[in-house]
Amino acid sequence: MTTYEDDLIALLLGDRRRSPALARWLGTLEGRRELRAYRRTLAALEQLYGDAGAAPRRTIYYCAIPTPIGRVFVAASEAGLVRISFRQSEASLVDELRQRLAADVVRSPARTADVVHQLRAYFAGERWRFDVRLDLRHITPFQRRVLMAAARVPAGKVVSYGEIARRIGQPHGSRAVGQALGHNPVPIVIPCHRVVAAGGRIGGYTGGLTIKRKLLRLEGAVAAAG
Amino acid sequence: MSPPRVTLAELTERHRGEIVGYLARMLGDRQEAEDACQDVFLRAHRAFARLGPEAKSRAWLYRIATNTGLNAARSRARRVARAIAVDPDALPADAGPSPERREELRAMKRAVEALPPRQRAALMLRQFQGLGYAEIAASLGGNEVAARANVYQALKKLRAALGEAR
Repeated sequence: MTTYEDDLIALLLGDRRRSPALARWLGTLEGRRELRAYRRTLAALEQLYGDAGAAPRRTIYYCAIPTPIGRVFVAASEAGLVRISFRQSEASLVDELRQRLAADVVRSPARTADVVHQLRAYFAGERWRFDVRLDLRHITPFQRRVLMAAARVPAGKVVSYGEIARRIGQPHGSRAVGQALGHNPVPIVIPCHRVVAAGGRIGGYTGGLTIKRKLLRLEGAVAAAG
Repeated sequence: MSPPRVTLAELTERHRGEIVGYLARMLGDRQEAEDACQDVFLRAHRAFARLGPEAKSRAWLYRIATNTGLNAARSRARRVARAIAVDPDALPADAGPSPERREELRAMKRAVEALPPRQRAALMLRQFQGLGYAEIAASLGGNEVAARANVYQALKKLRAALGEAR
């Protein structure tokens, strides 16, 4: 339509500076009209596909419960359980969810009641398995495989990092397994505390070894817990 | 001796947000974007071990994301149009868009959806993902001139959708 269209786009995108010829054209009726039209095009694009449009924030609900291992936070989205956290302050948990998961964070015992109920039963020694949906969309496929393998270890039993590595078909990956378990977003529900070092040593735990031992003792795996 | 290595978990954590945003802009559907994003990091995971550290960069991820997004757009083209993630009627009302403005946004959205997928990808990379033309060329294949032409072509079509604006 016009020979200056490319120049105008280049100017608006910051690709090129205004040439004298373009400046003259922008003084014409046609130039002014096109400048307005392209500005509105970019503004509409921004409104439709800018941050709000492309990535609507989800809401994550959380609450805190007292347990034998201290205060435990439970956080869940509409899709499922997002986070179990202990030895963390409320402010730091809320910050983490808000920033790393780009979510709105709301305290809501009602929306987390089901998981909380199951956790209470666990700490009371009344149940060892959890029946909850998980919302773990932010983990890597490798981490997912490791966590799913850990989830199959029953209460009262422990397995080694190397054994998990073998079960996911990566026999030399026990270090990577350890790392993936260290970043387990939902400890207890996915029982990474049941994975220990070779030779009966307890291995590591992000929540601290005291808590790892307590959980294993609660489940009756105390001998292996060293 | 070797340079500090970025792990895939770190890469995922660092870039997941922007990649899923990019895919949502490319596909116009949040859920589809989430699914495609899973795919991107799965592919990245498979390729990760084979590649040198220079490949494990943001531009490299964008290349995988672009291919994944283009594939998703292609297979979707054969299906019925899906629910849209960006409904102009559901936009925040604080600016109080007039009926005219709403109509304009609707027309713009139709125009974006009618763009060839490569042009749409190039436009989103330039406008929202902060990539330069060299990086766009690397993500999309082809050279910088073609990358820029894709962005400009896309904008011309969108501007045309506004019609003879006042």
